[in-house]
Formats: sequence, structure tokens, C-alpha cells
Amino acid sequence: MREEDVLIGALLEDACLTLDELSRACAAPPDWVIERVREGLLPAPGEAPTAWRFSSRDLWRARQMLRIERDFDAVPELAALVADLLEEIDDMRARLRRAGYD
Amino acid sequence: MRLIREPPAPLRAARGGRRGRLQFKDYYQTLGVARDATADEIKKAFRKLARKYHPDVSKEAGAEARMKEVNEANAVLSDPEKRAAYDALGRGYQPGQDFRPPPDWDANFEFSGPGFGHAEAGEFSDFFAELFGRMGARPREGGFGPREARFAARGEDHHAKVVLDIEDAWRGATRQLSLRVPRMDAAGHVVLDTRTLDVQIPKGVREGQLIRLAGQGAPGHGGAPPGDLLLEVHFRPHARYQVSGRDLLVDLPVAPWEAALGAVIPVPLPDGSTLKVRIPAGAQSGRQLVVRGKGIPGNPPGDLELTVRVVLPPADTTRAKELYETMARDLNFDPRG
Repeated sequence: MREEDVLIGALLEDACLTLDELSRACAAPPDWVIERVREGLLPAPGEAPTAWRFSSRDLWRARQMLRIERDFDAVPELAALVADLLEEIDDMRARLRRAGYD
Repeated sequence: MRLIREPPAPLRAARGGRRGRLQFKDYYQTLGVARDATADEIKKAFRKLARKYHPDVSKEAGAEARMKEVNEANAVLSDPEKRAAYDALGRGYQPGQDFRPPPDWDANFEFSGPGFGHAEAGEFSDFFAELFGRMGARPREGGFGPREARFAARGEDHHAKVVLDIEDAWRGATRQLSLRVPRMDAAGHVVLDTRTLDVQIPKGVREGQLIRLAGQGAPGHGGAPPGDLLLEVHFRPHARYQVSGRDLLVDLPVAPWEAALGAVIPVPLPDGSTLKVRIPAGAQSGRQLVVRGKGIPGNPPGDLELTVRVVLPPADTTRAKELYETMARDLNFDPRG
């Protein structure tokens, strides 16, 4: 492997994705994101959409919600509820792992 | 779906020229529906399987791979145009049978629906890409030429997971990733390439964090830039360490006298160094000690969280038994009192 062949990844810190970046990363139109932020289904990341910054966790949540809405024709509120539960499961699994129960 | 004019010569000439062996996929079998299933039956079957194989909740072996198959089958069967084309082409084939579509098999179909993105194509099989991968490049009726020539659009972002050892968060890592990447060939076909990337992952990375590789996503259209590749970091389970955000969680086994009297205990860290930690006298099992700034490096760095676990020496010799008996007699201790 030559050194110049190695791609250097940029670590994305918390609250770093703009509205456009988030919508592009989950292949959804910006309006889809704006609507869900306005409805409180995605975290409110600030005042004006141009100043919004999202975390990688928000991206994970947005992709989950999008998939649930699409696969099950779910209303956004239901998709958000399922995403809440998936996050809860994720946290509990992490706690179980930390306690030695895999 | 409707008849269209003859495709232009360069496109025709290239069709059927590529490609190794493909195996026929029975999408009806994948969804468990009859070939004459209604749209409602297909939707119902898909939802049932989507629930069963949802990668975050399913306990089925290979759920993620199965979910991809189910998504692919649904992408075809839930779209009347793709389904009709698939039905026309797949007549007489058995699942797993070698498959080669005849040249120009799709000359009489036009796919007008939402189509699929390049990111989606990367998730699906070669079989799918062979059948439907050229949709994005199809000339439209009216002779405007390929769609790509008329629109400029940035390529889609791609997503992948990268699994690291916890130690890599301290020292950084280089990982080789193999990705299936859809690419438009000279004739306008979407073909799936396997692309190998060597990626340097900086130190200080934490669970769930994203790493962006600019320009490594889907190619752009009409001269627009490519998308990015977003890697999501996961750590392989470790026998000694756990992480929570940037905090490093470690079990700290101590002898009863170390816990009772206090001690300075060496704690090995993932970077190979050793940190000496003072245990206060009277530390019980389960007590947590926090050493600020000694977790995963970063700005700010995480903390080291130690959980004291008192380990009893076995009473397997005469002398050990005597010591326990002495304690029992002299300490007058009732742990339930």
C-alpha cells in the first residue's frame, strides 16, 4: 500500500451536519427534514434552518424514520415513535454489554 | 410502461456485451407471494418481512442480508413497470439458474417511475443492476438524449460501517474497506464494481461517530461532483474495556485487603501505558472511581471510569482457611446486618 493511496477520513464532531448535508446523507429533500424538526420529531438544532447543525445520532434517527415511513407507509409521528423505541433498545443493549450481558 | 422508439445505435451495440454469470432471482419466492399476487398482497408480504428482518430488532440469523433481499424484491414487485418487465423476462427461469438477459430485452419498456438511486443500486444484487441499472441512462421519448446530459446533480452519499478495535481510538488505524459501487459505463449501463479503499482513521474516534470521505460516494451527473462516503464507527467487543461516548469503562478487580485498606493499583490502558490509581480504603464492590481526561483522547478527552470488583482468594489451602476462620472469629462482621 503506497502512502498516497490511503484516504484520510475527517471525523465529524457532534452537531456538525448542515440541513443540506443531513438531507443529502439520508437521501431526503430538505423540506422533509424541516417539517420533522418543526413537528418536534427530529431534535431542534437551533433557530433558523440555515443555522441548524445535526449530529451523527440525528442522522441515524432521520434514516430510521425515513425507512419506517417508506416501508410501512407510516405517518411521521409513528415513525418517530419507532425511532424512539429503537434508540431506547440501543441504549439498553449498550448497558447490558457494559454489565457483561451480551 | 409504453413502447418507445428504437434506442440509439451506440446504446444498442453495448447491451448484452458485458458480464459474467448471473443467477436468476425469484422475487416472488423471496416475498413468499404467488406470481399473480395483487399489489396489496405484495405490500402486505413486504411489510410482514420488513418487520421480521428489521436489522435493529430481528433475532434471525443473517437478518440484514435477508432484509436487503426483501427490499430488492419489493423494489421490483411493487413497481408495476419493473414488475411487468421482470415477469416478461423471467418466464421459465428457476431460482439460482444461470441467467443472461437477451440483448435489447428492455427495448420495449420505458421506466418512468421514481427509479432508483445509485446508492440503492449498490445495496442490491448484480441481477437487479443488470435488469434495472440502466434506467437512469435511458433516452427519453422525444429524442432529448440521455438524462445525464440534461441535468447536473451531485452524486448521492453512501454509507458503510467500519468496525475498529478499542485500541484504535488511541492510536488511529488504517482499514481496508471493500465496497460495491455502481458505476455508469461508457454505454450508459450501471455496472457494480468492487472498490477497495484504504482509509486512515484518526485517533480520538468514538462509537457511532461519522467519518466523512469526501468525494467517495456515488458519481455526480452532468459534471456535478460526486457524493461523500460516510463511515459509521463501531467498536469490536473487548474483553477488558467498554466505551460510552469518549469514556472508557473498566472493571477493576482488587483483593479484599486492597479494598479494605486502600492501595495503589496499576491499570493498563489501551495505548499500552499503565496508570497508577489510588483506591480509597473501604472501597466496596461496585464502587465507581473516575479519572478525568484518561478516556478516549479528544477535545475534550473522555474519562476513565473504574468499577471496583472485590475478588476473594479461594480458601483452598489450610492456611487460607485459617485466615478466613480468624476473620470470622475476630471481626464480628455481619454483611446482612
